[in-house]
Amino acid sequence: MTDIQTDRNTFTPPEVLTVGFTVNGQYHRFNVGTEAHEISPTHTLSWTLRETLGLTGTKVSCDQGACGCCTVIMDGKAVLSCKILTIECDGKTITTIEGLKERTSGALDPIQQAFIDHNAFQCGYCTPGMIMTTKALLDEKSHPTEQEIKEALSGNFCRCISHYQVITAVLSVVESRK
Amino acid sequence: MDDTYRYIGKPIPRRDAAAIVTGAAVFLDDLRFDNLLHGKVLRSPHAHARINRIDKSKAEALPGVKAVLTWEDIPDWRGGTPRTVRVLDEKVRYVGDATALVAATTPEIAEEALDLIEVDYKVLPAVIDMDSALKPGAPLVYDEFPGNIVPGGTIIYGPNCLKGVERGDVAKGFAEADVITEGTFGYENIPNALPPESVGAVAQWEEPDKVTVWATSQAPYMDKVTLFHVFNRQVEIRSIGNHVGGSFGTKIMCWQVQAYAVLLSRATGRPVKVVFTKEEHLAAFTLRVASRLQAKVGIKNDGTLTAIQGTWYVDTGYYSFTTQAQVAVGSGELMIMAQCPNWDLKNFIVTTNRNASGSTRGFGGQELKSSFIPLLSLAMEKADLDPFEVLKKNFVKPGGGYFWRDGEWYDYRGIDYSKAMDTGAERFGWKEKWKGWLKPTSVDGPKRTGIGVGVHGNADIGEDAAEAYVQIDYNGTATIFLCVAEHGTGQKSNYVRMAAEVLQIPLDRIAMSPADSLVTPFEFGPVGSRGTYAIGSAVINAAEDAKQKLFDLFAPKLGADPEDLETADGVVTVKGHPEKSLKWRALGNDRTVLGYGRFESDFTLCNCMMSFVEAGVDTETGKVSLESVVLATDVGRIIDPLGIEGQLNGCIGSAGIDTAVFEETILNPSSGHMLNPNLIDYKWRTFEELPPIEHVVLETPIPSHRFNAVGVGEISTAPGPSAVLMAVSNAVGTWFHEYPVTPQKVLKALGKIDTERRGGSR
Amino acid sequence: MKRFEHHNARSIEEAIEILGYYKGNAKVNAGGTDLLGALRDRALPEYPDAVINIKTIGGLDYIEKDQTGLKIGALAKLDDITRSPVIKEEHKLLADAAYSVATPQIRTMATIGGNLAQDVRCWFYRYPPRIGGPMVCLRKGGKFCSALAGDNRYHSIFGPAPLVEYPDEGDIPGQPALPSHPHRSRKGCFAVGPSDLAVALVALDAGIVTTKRTVSAEAFFNATALKSTLLEADELITEIQVPKLPAAATQRYDKFTLRKPIDFAVVSTASVLTVDRGVCTDARIVLGAVAPEPVRVRNAEEVLKGRHIDEETAEEAAELALAGSTPLKMNGYKVEIAKVLVKRAILG
Repeated sequence: MTDIQTDRNTFTPPEVLTVGFTVNGQYHRFNVGTEAHEISPTHTLSWTLRETLGLTGTKVSCDQGACGCCTVIMDGKAVLSCKILTIECDGKTITTIEGLKERTSGALDPIQQAFIDHNAFQCGYCTPGMIMTTKALLDEKSHPTEQEIKEALSGNFCRCISHYQVITAVLSVVESRK
Repeated sequence: MDDTYRYIGKPIPRRDAAAIVTGAAVFLDDLRFDNLLHGKVLRSPHAHARINRIDKSKAEALPGVKAVLTWEDIPDWRGGTPRTVRVLDEKVRYVGDATALVAATTPEIAEEALDLIEVDYKVLPAVIDMDSALKPGAPLVYDEFPGNIVPGGTIIYGPNCLKGVERGDVAKGFAEADVITEGTFGYENIPNALPPESVGAVAQWEEPDKVTVWATSQAPYMDKVTLFHVFNRQVEIRSIGNHVGGSFGTKIMCWQVQAYAVLLSRATGRPVKVVFTKEEHLAAFTLRVASRLQAKVGIKNDGTLTAIQGTWYVDTGYYSFTTQAQVAVGSGELMIMAQCPNWDLKNFIVTTNRNASGSTRGFGGQELKSSFIPLLSLAMEKADLDPFEVLKKNFVKPGGGYFWRDGEWYDYRGIDYSKAMDTGAERFGWKEKWKGWLKPTSVDGPKRTGIGVGVHGNADIGEDAAEAYVQIDYNGTATIFLCVAEHGTGQKSNYVRMAAEVLQIPLDRIAMSPADSLVTPFEFGPVGSRGTYAIGSAVINAAEDAKQKLFDLFAPKLGADPEDLETADGVVTVKGHPEKSLKWRALGNDRTVLGYGRFESDFTLCNCMMSFVEAGVDTETGKVSLESVVLATDVGRIIDPLGIEGQLNGCIGSAGIDTAVFEETILNPSSGHMLNPNLIDYKWRTFEELPPIEHVVLETPIPSHRFNAVGVGEISTAPGPSAVLMAVSNAVGTWFHEYPVTPQKVLKALGKIDTERRGGSR
Repeated sequence: MKRFEHHNARSIEEAIEILGYYKGNAKVNAGGTDLLGALRDRALPEYPDAVINIKTIGGLDYIEKDQTGLKIGALAKLDDITRSPVIKEEHKLLADAAYSVATPQIRTMATIGGNLAQDVRCWFYRYPPRIGGPMVCLRKGGKFCSALAGDNRYHSIFGPAPLVEYPDEGDIPGQPALPSHPHRSRKGCFAVGPSDLAVALVALDAGIVTTKRTVSAEAFFNATALKSTLLEADELITEIQVPKLPAAATQRYDKFTLRKPIDFAVVSTASVLTVDRGVCTDARIVLGAVAPEPVRVRNAEEVLKGRHIDEETAEEAAELALAGSTPLKMNGYKVEIAKVLVKRAILG
C-alpha cells in the first residue's frame, strides 16, 4: 500500500487490558492474556461462556454463525456467541440458558416449561439456542403471530425436526399471556 | 383395546426434560476433566496418496504440544468390515483422511502444531465415484479389495449373512408379467444425517492396557465391543455414554475418533479430548451410502409383482463399517415392501476415494427403496396402476415372509398394515388428488403440484440381543441398569415407563444407571428400530424377573404361592385378599432384588411406514417445495404420544425427505474435495419452510412384548425421498430419476436449459 | 482461531491510524458475522496481524432522512434497517434486501458497512483449511479459478472478475466487468458478489461515502480477483446515501435461493421502475449473484423506456438482460432464473 503514512515508530495502538461484562446477573472482569483464566483476543464469547465460565448450557454446533445453537441474549437481543469476540464485550449484559430460571425461587421460565409440556425437543442439543431466541422474541413482542415465531427461529438449526412442537410450545406461552 | 395403564401411552414429559431446557443436560463436550489435553487431526489434501515422509519435529517442539502421532508411531490397530482400515495409515484414501494426531494443552496450540507438520505425499490416481472405481484396471483403494469391490457379509449377522436375494424362478416370473420395465436408478447424492452435536470422544488411558472412553455414541456398550476388536483384543475398555446431540444412526461409527483420543491418551498418560469441528463432522465422518440399482421388474395388470432381477451397487466411500449390514437389511426390507415370488437381486459394495458412507437412519432400506420405487413406477405407469394400491397390495401380510439379514427365511406373524395405509390415504386425500401418472394434481399459472407415495417396513424392530437389570430396593424404589445413551428418541424415559408399569410404582421411584459398560450388562444400543421391542423387552423381562424374585421371597411370608401375588406402589398383596399384604420394606435394608432380562433376536415382525407427499414446482424457476406430508403407520400401542409425534416429524430432517428436495453432499468432481462441509452450503430445513404435516398412527395390538408395541421412529424418513421424486415427476409431467430435484434438474427437464453444453443457455 | 492482536478504535481517525500501523495487514471488525468466519476458516489469502473493533466508534449507526434522501451510518445494523419506518416508507427495496440476509441473529449483529465490504462466499475460496485445505484458487496463488474445472453451479454467468495485473485487459476504470471481453473469460475469479444490499443500493443509485471518497454504489463494487470493492486496505465505509425516489417509482427486491433464510442469493434482482399510465418512463434493474459485482442491465432498462409494460415487453427486456451471459458448465440454470426474476421485477 502506497498511501499509508503512519509512522510505526511514533504511534502505538491503544491496547485492551481488561474486559468486564455481566452474565446472568453476575459481573465478571478478566485480564486480557493467554492464561486459562484470561481472555485471549481470539476467544469467542461462546468459548468464554463454556470454557472460562463453565456455562456449558450454551452449545456450539456449526461454529460459523449458521445454526443458532450458540444463541445468547446480549443487551436484549438474540445474538450468536460464536461470532462475537469476548474482548469486544466490555460493558455488555448477557443472559444464557442458565440465567433464565427465576433467580431466587429457581422456577423455570414459562418458555422452558412450555418446551417441557409440549415435548419441544428430541436430542435437545439445539434447545438452549431456541429457547434463548424465543426469549428475546417474547421480551420484545408479547404476542407474536405464528409466522413471526417461525421467522424469529428461522436461524435455529434442528435435525430431529422439533420445529412443529416448538411452535406449539411458543404459541402456548403467547396464548397464556392473553 | 383396554387401557388400564398408568404410564404407557400417557403424555408424560421425558425425565430429562428439565435438564434439556435449562442447559443442564451433559453432552460429551460439556464434561470437565482435570489435566485435559485437546486432540486435533491433520488431514490429507489428496484423494489418494502415499505418504513418503512426515516430519513432525517442529510440531513436537512447539511449547504445549504433548504428542504428535503418525502411522509410524502407532500399533497396527484396524477397524472396518472386514477389519482393514488402519487408524492411521501410510496411505491416504480421501480428501480429509487422517495423517497425524496432535495433543496439546489448548485447542489453539494443537491447531498451530498441525501447521508445523510437514508431509511429503506421492499422489496416486484416485477413483472418486463408482464409475471410475469399477473401470477395468482402475487404481485400487485397498490392495486387499481387487476391482475395488469390498467383500459382502458381516460376521455380526452370522456365517450366512444375506448377501443378495435369490428365490423362485425369475425367467418364469418375467414370462408371467404383463409389463416389464428395466433401467438404472440411483440415490447417489450421499446426504448427511448431520446431527447438531459433532462427533467426539475423551479417553483416559491406564497403563498397561486399560482405557476409559467417553463418547458421543448412543450405544456405548457396542463401542466397547468394537474397540476391543480394533485394538487387537489387547485392551480392556470401559465405555461411557452421555446425552447425545442427535445421531440418526450415524454415531455408532465413532470408532475412529475414539481411537484418536485413546492413542493420544496412551501417548501422554493424560485424558485427551477430540471433538470434530462441524467441517470434520461433515467431511470426515459418515454419509449415507450411494445406491445404484440396475434392475428389471415384472408386474401383472392387477399389480401383482412377478419378478425382480438386478444388481445393486453400493458405494461405501473409502471404507465400510456397516455397509454389508445395510445391504443385508436393505435387501430384506425390499422383500418386505415387495412381496414377489421370484427374485435374483445381487449386489456389489464398491470402495471409492471419498469420505465414508455408513450407518444412517433407514439403514440400506431407504437407499435401496429410493432406487427401486422409481423403477417400479415405470412399470406401474405402463400398466396404468395407482401406486398407492400397488404398494399396499405388495407389502408383507400375515402368510407372507422374507429373507432377513442372517440369510434365513421368516414367516411374517405380524398385522396387516393395509388399514393404516387406507387411513393415511384418506387423510391425505389420495383418491381426490391422484390424476394418473405424469399428471399434475393442480396447475396454477407456473405453479403446479403433484403427489407421490412411498412405503417402508423393517424387521429389525427385533434385532440383536438386549440385556438389562432391574434392581428392587426395600424402600419401594427400583433401578434400571441399561447401556443406552439418550440420543433424542426419549426411549430412556420409555424404559422407565415400561418398568414402572410392570412393577406398578411411580415413575419417579425408578432410577436409571448411567450408560456405563462397567455397571450395565450388554446392550447393542438404540439403533435401527429395535428400541421399543428389543430393548424394551429386555427391560420388561428384567422387571418381571425382579418382581418374580420378590414374590418368591414374599410368598412364604404371606402364606401364598408366588403366582397368587401382585404388587403396586411398593406393596405386595395376595390377589383377592387386600388384607394380606407386605410392603417391599419387608425385604430389609440389607437386601436388594436383582432381576435380569434378556431379549433374543426375533425377525418375524416388522414395522411399516407409508409416506404421502404433495410437492409444488415453480416451472419458471424450477424450485420444488413440499406442500403437504402425511405419514401413516400402526405401532401396536403408543408408548409415548408426544415422543412419537416428534419422531414422525423427523421424516423431514436427518437425510430424510429433503434428500429429494435439496440435501446433497457436493464433491468437486476433479479433486474429490467436499465443497459444502458447512451448515450454510449443506442445505437443511428451516422453521420458515415447514410443510403442513399429519400423522396417522393406529394401535392394532402387535404380538411383540406385553405392551404389543413396535418401534417406528427410525423409518419415518425412509419412504419419503422416492415419494417426492414421484410427486415432482407427476407435477412436471416428465420422469425425474435423480436426487435431489434441484432447480437445474427441473429446468433441464422442462427443456429450458441444456446443462451438457458449455454456455448452455438458450 | 489463529492469533491476532486486537484494538478498539475510538474514532474513525484512530481506526485508520491503527490500520496504518499494521501497514494494511489488519482487518476492521464491525458485526463480525463475516470476518470471524473468515478468520476461523483462514479464508483470507493473508491472515491479518490485527483485528480492529470499530463498534466502539460512537454515532455511526444512524438512519436519517432529509429532503435529499436517506443517510445511513456504516454501523447501522441490518435488523435496524429492516425495521426502520423511515426506510420502509420510501425505500422498501432496501429494507427487503436487508431482511433477505442470512438469519435474524445475523441481522441483529451485522452492519450495512460490513455487508457491503464482506468477502466472497465461493466454496473454493472458503474451503476449510483443516479438511486438506486450503484449495489453491486464483485468489490464493493458483493459476486458474477453481470454478472453471470444478462444481460451478453458484458461480458467475457474466465472466470473471479480472486479475488486475493482466496488462491486456483494457478495462475502463469504474466500469463493471461486463462480458464483452471474451478473451478474458478464463483469466479471473468467477466468485459472485455476495452482498444483497449492494444490489439494492445500485438499483437505488446510492452513494457510498468512505474515508477517502464518495462514489456511486455502481462504481464502488468494482470487483477484481483480489477484492470485491474499491476499498483500499486503509479505507473505511462511513455512510451510505440513498437519494429520494420519484413519487411514482415502484421498487422491488427478489432473491432466488433454495431456502428463504440463511442462503446467499443464487440470483437476485433489485429494480426501481417509474411507470406512468402503463408506460415506463424510467428503469433501473440490477442483477445480483450473477457476476462478481451487481450488474445493471442497461439494455433491458433502455428497451423498457417509453414502452407499455406488458408480458411481451418484460419478456424482451429479460432476454436482453441476459443476452450477454456466458454461463459455465453447471450454472446455465441461473440464466433462466435471472430472466424470470427480471420479468417479475417488471411485471410486479
